[in-house]
Amino acid sequence: MATYVYAITAADHPLRLEGLAGVGDPPSELRTVKTPELGAVVSDTPPGLRAKRRDLVAHQGVLERLMADGAVLPMRFGLVGPDDGQVQDALEREKEKYTARLAEIDGCLEYNLKVSRDEEGMLREILRDSTEARELSEYTRRNPGAQDRMMALGEIVAREVQARQEALGRDIAAVFSPLAERTSEAEPTAKHFLNASYLVKRDEAAAFSQAVHEEAERRGDEYEFRLNGPLPPYSFA
Amino acid sequence: MSLVQQSNASGSGGGSGNLYDVLELILDRGLVIDAFVRVSLVGIEILKIDVRVVVASVDTYLRFAEACNRLDLESGRKAPAQLTDIVGDTVESGAKGKSKGALTGAVEAFTESFQSGRDSSEEKEKETTKRPARKSTASSSSRRSSRQGEE
Repeated sequence: MATYVYAITAADHPLRLEGLAGVGDPPSELRTVKTPELGAVVSDTPPGLRAKRRDLVAHQGVLERLMADGAVLPMRFGLVGPDDGQVQDALEREKEKYTARLAEIDGCLEYNLKVSRDEEGMLREILRDSTEARELSEYTRRNPGAQDRMMALGEIVAREVQARQEALGRDIAAVFSPLAERTSEAEPTAKHFLNASYLVKRDEAAAFSQAVHEEAERRGDEYEFRLNGPLPPYSFA
Repeated sequence: MSLVQQSNASGSGGGSGNLYDVLELILDRGLVIDAFVRVSLVGIEILKIDVRVVVASVDTYLRFAEACNRLDLESGRKAPAQLTDIVGDTVESGAKGKSKGALTGAVEAFTESFQSGRDSSEEKEKETTKRPARKSTASSSSRRSSRQGEE
């Protein structure tokens, strides 16, 4: 039966799995695959597995438990090998790579930060700063049918929004990157102009979190900071 | 200040309160083993919905222009629509309630898509104020990585 893989750890990781359940309904039973250097947590692959909420929660739950006890390389959700033997072969084949990655993340946790800004505040700022946008806005308020002017206004504003979001993303990222061992920035989304993960040492996690609090406070009410962590180091595995 | 901090490492078996926030990490990052496969992830395109910056299009321009012209320039800045000010460990319940606008719609869109009806009764769905899924085109989620300390 196909083997679902949750995580890879060093051989000396305690792999406490009591009370945890794997993906699937009914939940699959967790077991371990070991080599002299490495260990993997696996289960059978339930038939028809998809990314349902309970399965994502189970996957995440296993990783959070393992993370509490030592360095762990989290697998991407849904990774399946042919059988336990081939998982063991993969651990053996890639042992140098996995051992090196485990050493890199040892003692570190991932924090994911998403920052957004209230759109209204940004639009006000643009109208304040751009004479052209302000005049177009005044004109189209009086002449709502002026589609070409509406488009011209929208184009200016869209360009300004993007430029301002990029600048903000750079400014805020520059505050936190120096506090982390490594940084992984995802593309900004429509809502979040900054979407970044930080690999932070366990004993520096409090300072990192504090720095995010301080920056959020400094930026004020228009901004929303969403800090998630500690997380298994998905972005650094 | 508006900060939502969610800390999940209490061993609670994986709180799902912040699942949406970390969904992209669980589904899109993490280690893969060469030659192993990934299960078919029906509905995974939901992930990409938000991965886009401002798109240059007629719709976008009109939306921005209309949003500008709706601003009441005299009254100055209003309070943000959803202010979440949850600090520290007051995690899930508080965050869910207060940042409802921000979170709930997204979570609903995600659960609906991922479950496509099957077993939906057993999943603990909260309010069912259905929102239309946001329409958008998918775009790639390539990312920039930088390794500090290796330079």
